[in-house]
Amino acid sequence: MANLLWLQGGACSGNTMSFLNAEEPSACDLVTDFGINILWQPSLGMELGDGVQQILKDCISGATKLDIFVFEGSVVNAPNGTGEWNRFAGRPMKDWVRELSAAADIVVALGDCATWGGIPATAPNPTDSQGLQFLKRDNGGFLGTDFKAKSGLPVINIPGCPAHPDWVTQILVAVATGRAGDLALDEFQRPKTFFQSFTQTGCTRNMHFAYKVSATEFGQRKGCLFYDLGCRGPMTHSPCNRILWNRVSSKTRAGMPCLGCTEPEFPFFDLAPGTVFKTQTVMGVPKDLPEGVNKKGYVKLTGAAKAAMPEWAEEDIFVV
Amino acid sequence: MSAQLQTLDISPVGRVEGDLDVRVDIKDGIVVNAWTSAELFRGFEVILRDKDPQAGLVVTPRACGICGASHLTCAAWALDTAWGTEVPRNGIIARNLGQLAESLQSLPRHHYGLFMIDMVNKNYQKSPFYEEAVKRWSPFTGSNYEIGVTISGRPVEIYAMLGGQWPHSSYMVPGGVMCSPTLSDVTRAWSILEHFRSNWIEPIWLGCSIERYEEIQTYDDFIAWLDERPEHANSDLGMMWRMGIDVGLDKFGKGLGKFVSWGYLPHEDKYNKPTIDGRNAAVQMPGGVFDGAADTHKLMDQMFTREDTTHSWYDEEEGVVHPFDRTTNPIDNNAQDFAGKYSWATAVAHAEHGHLEAGPLARELIYGGGHMEDWQHKDGLLLDMYKKMGGASVLLRHFARMHEFKYIYRQMERCLREFRLDEPFYIKPQEQDGQGWGATEAIRGALCHWIDVQNGKIKNYQIIAPTTWNVGPRTGEEERGPIEEALIGTPIADPTDPVEVGHVARSYDSCLVCTVHAHDAKTGKELSRFKTS
Repeated sequence: MANLLWLQGGACSGNTMSFLNAEEPSACDLVTDFGINILWQPSLGMELGDGVQQILKDCISGATKLDIFVFEGSVVNAPNGTGEWNRFAGRPMKDWVRELSAAADIVVALGDCATWGGIPATAPNPTDSQGLQFLKRDNGGFLGTDFKAKSGLPVINIPGCPAHPDWVTQILVAVATGRAGDLALDEFQRPKTFFQSFTQTGCTRNMHFAYKVSATEFGQRKGCLFYDLGCRGPMTHSPCNRILWNRVSSKTRAGMPCLGCTEPEFPFFDLAPGTVFKTQTVMGVPKDLPEGVNKKGYVKLTGAAKAAMPEWAEEDIFVV
Repeated sequence: MSAQLQTLDISPVGRVEGDLDVRVDIKDGIVVNAWTSAELFRGFEVILRDKDPQAGLVVTPRACGICGASHLTCAAWALDTAWGTEVPRNGIIARNLGQLAESLQSLPRHHYGLFMIDMVNKNYQKSPFYEEAVKRWSPFTGSNYEIGVTISGRPVEIYAMLGGQWPHSSYMVPGGVMCSPTLSDVTRAWSILEHFRSNWIEPIWLGCSIERYEEIQTYDDFIAWLDERPEHANSDLGMMWRMGIDVGLDKFGKGLGKFVSWGYLPHEDKYNKPTIDGRNAAVQMPGGVFDGAADTHKLMDQMFTREDTTHSWYDEEEGVVHPFDRTTNPIDNNAQDFAGKYSWATAVAHAEHGHLEAGPLARELIYGGGHMEDWQHKDGLLLDMYKKMGGASVLLRHFARMHEFKYIYRQMERCLREFRLDEPFYIKPQEQDGQGWGATEAIRGALCHWIDVQNGKIKNYQIIAPTTWNVGPRTGEEERGPIEEALIGTPIADPTDPVEVGHVARSYDSCLVCTVHAHDAKTGKELSRFKTS
């Protein structure tokens, strides 16, 4: 059995909602089949008021063993470093977070806000928000570079806005079935099993990418979203097209450009005028190229792709 | 219980999506005064200033992970009205379908996950229904809890077909939607709806067919339905109702008795050239204001919206202002001062009617009015129940929410029938400066966005969420907010576990995460004024 506590800071509850979409295992399966004991969760917990405060205090004192601490949402430091703008259970949330992180075996940052600061930390970051161990690309965050949970692991970052339910449930099952040792993390402390491949891996528009056939505006039944509509699939690490969303689709499959939400910079360009759903280019070449591809190589590649393009590639492929 | 006044501070009240603190004064075991405090501030409107005009499509669904489709709907319609777009019928239908899918998801998820688990509280051990409640509704392990929470994920699979994922897609854009669903998307969506009907709505929720439930038009019809067959009485709806009456959920949570809805679901042939003023006449589900005491229904207009910051952590000019004219000027010291300022939420009010309650009960009471056009949705059941039961209560409010599956399900079927797959889903608009307003009904009530685009960027963005209406503090005239008022008269059996306060807050399906307005922590600077042209 593993005790799990889940709190929300500067959050929208989106990761909780996403988690509740889980199947194999469902949220209930985690409890009944894998012995995950949910001590309290903001949307699911039975207790209120003093009852919640007692649970938190018992975790901090060690009276209750805290195996897994999941945090959703940013750590709010405003105003003036006090954290008073996000009070929870009678005191600033950030004070609970520091004490609970120190008491936990494993600390999980779930979603962009908890990992990198996310939307709340977008300029001008009005709430002085941080992620647990990062602020955007910078290591450190609220808990600091040297933080290690009792297990010896740093914060496990499961980014995404929101995170796919599998990305968290499979990690919980790994912990519950004694496979925590197999967890390999990348430089941003993301589990490699999910975040080594690209969002583009498995995209149904890959053939159009290969022949440089563009979806030039929304609602088209063909074409790749990278060339004109700002899709970040080739530069983003996530399994969105390997482990489908809500079991059925992904944004790029449905026709929505990837926003790169598993990367620290999300939302990219701080949403400056002219950057939303539009590929940023210099002299007709995208500013951000597929990871590892240089400009010269890209120009050669697209020239060859255009030359090789078969006629069918310009016709609708996702037909009625 | 002595007659002494006892003050109870409850921090947090969970299962309300966000951080809510409640203070109640109790006398003889009954709440005699109440204050609600929204305790989280994130500053989305500040973040949106000077950003790309379409930034709201990315940011605002993320204001709320529960009602993201509703925020996206508002953000898209606000830009449509600002840019003067044309939206093709398929685009309107695809937006409506996405929002309906989110709402259908929310019914079992809220019911089992957030509301019903309070029925297994030890407070109700003496109820003859208690044993069965524990069996069905215990968190995680209850038989119907597990079915309900798990199946709640199915309707949003339809959303994912349109938008790629739920929550947090941005597939609704000015001029329509990003997707062009194919035949197999539509057939799969039909199959998901049928699955939801045949695995939850009919066998678990109703104990009868949807068609039989649709015959219920009055309170008497409902009671007759309940008594008609044991399958009805023992369904989750039947059990919820009977246990609710047994433990007295119909006896408290009355509230203000004044209600608001923006109406929603624009008709696919009536809102293709969207304007702010043309909206009331274009929506299938009519909006309005219902005043219970006067028994009157009126149309609602965004121009009636007012915000009052007397008891909120902002330092602004006296009196009430339209959100367009608001200066958002926060104070650094957000200590709870119940005689002074005690919440990040503002008091949202109607210029003539003051505080109003938003939510499914509000919608349903408005559907019972005679103020709408002939082709718009009508349903008199809740208005009849409201009158015969002597007003609102925790039980009636929650019943209203769950009753909505009826039209949500039928409207989703209608969307799937009305798609014309060979016609466009998107007409590329011309970007331009302008002011816009987009509104809808999230499952938990009236939601709207105002946008002002100038020089190709956002000059001002304002959101008023349903919980801002409901959880707001007192007005300057000391009228309590809707939930504050609804707490009055609530019996508290055990002050160390005041589950009844939770019932009231959860009957409003409160959602604190997207309730509060914006300010800049670093400078405390006033935001620009939103001027009506």
